[in-house]
Amino acid sequence: MVLAEGSESRGALGREALAYADGLYNLARYLTGNDADAEDLVQETYALALRAAGQFARGTNLKAWLFRILRNAFISGYRRQRRNPTVGGLDTTDPHGQEAAPGEWPRNDMEMDQMRNVMAGDIEKALMSLSEEARTVVLLDLEGFTEAEAAQVLACAVGTVKSRLARARATLRQLLKDYAR
Amino acid sequence: MDCRESTTHLLDYQRGRLGPKQEEDLRTHLAGCPSCSRSEAIERTLTNLLERRLPQHPAPIALKLRLAAQWPSPSVTKLSWWERWGRSWVPAGAVALLLLVSVPMYYQALSSRQAGGAARMVTEAVNDHLRILQSQHPLEVESGNFHQVKPWFAGKLDFAPAVLFLGDQEFPLKGGSVGYFLDRKAAVFSYGYQLHVISLLVFRAESLPWPAGATGEPGKVRADERTARGFNVILWRKGEIGYALVSDAAPLELRRLAAKLGAAS
Repeated sequence: MVLAEGSESRGALGREALAYADGLYNLARYLTGNDADAEDLVQETYALALRAAGQFARGTNLKAWLFRILRNAFISGYRRQRRNPTVGGLDTTDPHGQEAAPGEWPRNDMEMDQMRNVMAGDIEKALMSLSEEARTVVLLDLEGFTEAEAAQVLACAVGTVKSRLARARATLRQLLKDYAR
Repeated sequence: MDCRESTTHLLDYQRGRLGPKQEEDLRTHLAGCPSCSRSEAIERTLTNLLERRLPQHPAPIALKLRLAAQWPSPSVTKLSWWERWGRSWVPAGAVALLLLVSVPMYYQALSSRQAGGAARMVTEAVNDHLRILQSQHPLEVESGNFHQVKPWFAGKLDFAPAVLFLGDQEFPLKGGSVGYFLDRKAAVFSYGYQLHVISLLVFRAESLPWPAGATGEPGKVRADERTARGFNVILWRKGEIGYALVSDAAPLELRRLAAKLGAAS
């Protein structure tokens, strides 16, 4: 009976977890840079979540829990295989203007218009050239995570998320400047 | 509030996550500080750019099906338990007793499996609708003329989408495209209702986990209505063809369109 109840609740958790497949795949695609690795990563994430389902406390944040599993799986997979060293890095220092002064670009209304007109492919390129940490924090913010939730995913302090996000966005603006016309 | 504090809280402000007092302080600061006000406009523009232009990569349907199979539904476990018992030898009296107990359990498991399957169909319908909304070119054929939209599907599908509602002033037909519903192709018709977009997915109905209430025509016989992630979904099947109607429009409006579709198909 305990088993039946356990599997019942595991099944309910599974159904709920599957609703996040699109968001998880999107992050996986931006972390790995290709469809095949993104599929493997999402599948591994669900396998790990299924194995650890008993440890998940009902009523806590399932979405943050799944995203954390995915990111941890990516990091361990990256360390294990280094299948695609060309995509970003796990370095905490951002090679592209970590120290970029906020507000440097756009400087005026004309440049602001230029930023508005950057094409989809160029935004993707700019995002992909950020470090893994910077890319992740930008994507978690777009996914609707609060800074506290993103801190759960990244296992760091809320203040760290805040400063990483601000730096990542400042760097992104500097990168977009090269694509603006 | 000074400029440093204002910079720290800008993103929280834009996402509506500040308390009323802090929000008011920041708004006052922005009104009097051209530099911070400019930073606020820049951050807002960047967020808009990322939200609207950054390509989104939804999970492929084949992957979703694999994930669903990987995570067993509770009903499967219940059936295995019953099957395990069924395989063992028991005296005739025990068999009769077992039947008395297990038959209702079987039907309960079956209905629970149907409920799980129906939830999967609803999730897929909502995901398809979101994909259409997020796509930069949602409609492959754009026309208010049904006689242009329906023939456009010829040769693109392995079935004829039995939809005869041409759209009207209340629900104008915006166009169509070819999509997927779980493992099969679907004809997607986009209707408008005021500022809402309503997607009608039409697909082959066989071997899908249809909810019990979904057999029949909307408006005449009941269809299955559900809500998922703020979207309303109506599922029904008629013969070999299945229909899913999805929108953030109110259930009443969606039901009205479903009735028009049911009456015309």
